[in-house]
Amino acid sequence: MSRLSPEQLAASVQDLPSLPAVVMELLSSIEQENIDISVLAKKVSYDQALTAKTLRLANSSSFGLQVKVATIQQAITFLGFQTTRNLITAAAVTGCFPNGLCPGFNDKAFWRHSIATAACSRSLARRLRFNQDVAFTAGLLHDIGRLVLVTGHPQAYGEVLAWRSRQDSEWLDAERSVLGIDHVDAGVALAEHWNFSDTMRQAIAYHHAPETPGAGFLAAIVHVANAVVHALDLTGEEDELVPALSSVAWDAMGLNEDAYMDLFRETEQQLEEMSAILMA
Amino acid sequence: MNGTYQLTPLAAVGPGMVLGDVLRDGKGNVLLAQGVVLTEGMLASLARHGVELLPILGAARAEAAVAIDPTQVQERLDRLFRKHERDNHGDWATGLLRQYMEDFRLKREVQR
Repeated sequence: MSRLSPEQLAASVQDLPSLPAVVMELLSSIEQENIDISVLAKKVSYDQALTAKTLRLANSSSFGLQVKVATIQQAITFLGFQTTRNLITAAAVTGCFPNGLCPGFNDKAFWRHSIATAACSRSLARRLRFNQDVAFTAGLLHDIGRLVLVTGHPQAYGEVLAWRSRQDSEWLDAERSVLGIDHVDAGVALAEHWNFSDTMRQAIAYHHAPETPGAGFLAAIVHVANAVVHALDLTGEEDELVPALSSVAWDAMGLNEDAYMDLFRETEQQLEEMSAILMA
Repeated sequence: MNGTYQLTPLAAVGPGMVLGDVLRDGKGNVLLAQGVVLTEGMLASLARHGVELLPILGAARAEAAVAIDPTQVQERLDRLFRKHERDNHGDWATGLLRQYMEDFRLKREVQR
């Protein structure tokens, strides 16, 4: 067994590739309204790769724009600041981690699951009149701790993959059994290092335990979206497994079957388009 | 664009499907951009333009969905929900998700 100490976890978070400074700024200010939009738009524009990916996403049909936007400032004008910020974050985070470090870890399946959970969380949030942009980002980042573990400790994570395969367990159980910590711990450590907002940290911390007092509504949204996406079987993994759903979180959604049918359809459609852009 | 799209006859394309590449007419003029979600109106217009094949994103999956084998679909769903026990009423939320997903995949009529 390859137990990881809290110190080793902290070191692996420190060693991660850093996000562009402007994205760190966006993530830490996700719930602030009073930041200078034009300055941020300008800063993002200096990063050409990030700008190009963000604009492709903004012009995808998921956002329903009638005109094609060509600059970050235009994206802000037509989509609003919150949505554009959300797209910049998605574009930056999906390009930040190296692929192929851990044999057996399917990076593509990881991102398909994360992007689908982002799309599903956003659709749920729209129906529940919750902030769609915050929900999208939380869905995208809910399992980011797995990438922290894979990137920092690829060999140890290989043991997690083998254990999970033998026991046919959920990821959380395999990680705890082999490493002594799990992707939630790693995600929370990263959220602190990258200075995520409190709401985002809570969602990452409690997406497997949304009934915990004080977990917050966002954790419930991500919890349900995560289960829905596993059930939609979108990653191409043979051993895909639907985790147990919290009845408290399900109840909190308050949706009927018709709404879930639409949610399933929307999630499938948006995944294909968004993953073509974000994983290019 | 990578190979995730498949050239699909217009007659087999329905609203909601996504273009996996830019669509041009015989003269090279762009008719629709990559990533567009097709509507009935667009499909009618493409028929008028004489378009016969469309690059549809994830077409292999869509075609598979048309010719579903209910037994195979049910087996796969049972595999996905293998940790859920149907008679465990305490786990009713997972049970409901399972029932909704069966209705969705097997195109059952939804009770209204």
